[in-house]
Amino acid sequence: MIDQNLLLIAYIVPIVFGLVLMTKAGDGLGASLSGREPLLKHARRRHMLGMNLVVLAGFVVSVHTLWISNKISEGGNVCSSATVFSCDDVLGNAQYNTDPVFGLPWGMIGMFAFGALMFITNSVSKEPDALWAEKYLKYGMYMTAFGVPIIALLISYEIAMEKICQFCTMAHIANVVCLFGFWRAGKMHEEGLWNDEAPAEAENKKDD
Amino acid sequence: MKNNTEADVRTDTAIKVMALFFVAIIFLALTTDPIKVGTKEGDRAPMLEGKAYNGSSWYEFDMDNYLTKNWTAGDSDGQWLVVEFMDTDCPFCVRSADDMGYDAEYFMKLRASHQTNPGMGPWDGPVVNFIASATELDIPGHETSQDEIVAFRDKSGEEVCADNACAERAGQAHRFVYIDDIDQDNMKEWKVPGTPAYFLIQPDGIVAWTSTENTQETVFEAIMRITPQEA
Repeated sequence: MIDQNLLLIAYIVPIVFGLVLMTKAGDGLGASLSGREPLLKHARRRHMLGMNLVVLAGFVVSVHTLWISNKISEGGNVCSSATVFSCDDVLGNAQYNTDPVFGLPWGMIGMFAFGALMFITNSVSKEPDALWAEKYLKYGMYMTAFGVPIIALLISYEIAMEKICQFCTMAHIANVVCLFGFWRAGKMHEEGLWNDEAPAEAENKKDD
Repeated sequence: MKNNTEADVRTDTAIKVMALFFVAIIFLALTTDPIKVGTKEGDRAPMLEGKAYNGSSWYEFDMDNYLTKNWTAGDSDGQWLVVEFMDTDCPFCVRSADDMGYDAEYFMKLRASHQTNPGMGPWDGPVVNFIASATELDIPGHETSQDEIVAFRDKSGEEVCADNACAERAGQAHRFVYIDDIDQDNMKEWKVPGTPAYFLIQPDGIVAWTSTENTQETVFEAIMRITPQEA
């Protein structure tokens, strides 16, 4: 079987790339990529591409954690380790591996959460000027903000177990990056950077 | 003619996201066969945790050491496990301590015959290890300690178990492991309603039998009925 830790890179790359596209560092990257993909010169398009990448990575890593949970329940060892990074110990711990309200595996909850976020980011990407778009972005921000105390709870479990689940951590990071992305999308609306024409205006502002 | 194109975008996206979700579910369904962690028959038994006493010292218990993950049904090489949840101050547990001891000696293959079933020949089934998880029930007079657990197991010391000297309990000193579950962590995770409670665990960690689901059957009878035997 492939070393599960190698697969982490497959999640780190889109999350980091997505984050870069959402930040100021993405402006330079967008400019260099705009020769190949002209639409990337627009800040809003870069931002939404970054968000879509992060949400997709969050969804896939959630599927992966649920897959690991299922494999452990079959009696297999997937990513067991004597070090602090041992997702088998975390996802295989029956006391902590399901939510305390519905008893659902955390990976399944991640799938639902990132599925809903994917709907928001995809819809807004396709119809950024729709009347509902700004409202949807706010819903996304509330959802990801609601995820923060849940992440804190899961981290408290990891502290109690003295083990870290690397895949769960990746999903947590994806949620926090999405929270930042939704917040920044709101700021872009406020600063008038949401429209496709914005880059030119922004550049003019810089020149002033 | 359509005049609300915004609705189309959301519907289209919702269908695509749902399709992706179902692809993920189908992938999980095809590549995994999850077994629920629990304490009903057919569930995967939760891990027992805590300090364990083996007759000489206390050490960190690891249930994995007792399991054979790649065991297949019918394989008599894998070692089975009986887990007893007990309280050293529970009168029923004190009364059944002798039977537990006799069963453990026989099925762990420490004795060639069973003391209360002398007609039985040497055990020809798989080794069945015994483990007791000693808890402290929330009942006045049930205060226990590691010293009391040691006294109960070894039939030694000055400790008192259910109003009598632990050293005077029926049966012989036990030769199986006792886990300190005074904080009730294991008992709560295994959802044990009261003591004594018994679980027969397959070598691969699946619960094969529980005393709560089979109140008319003893541990001895369950082992005889469920485990593979040569004869």
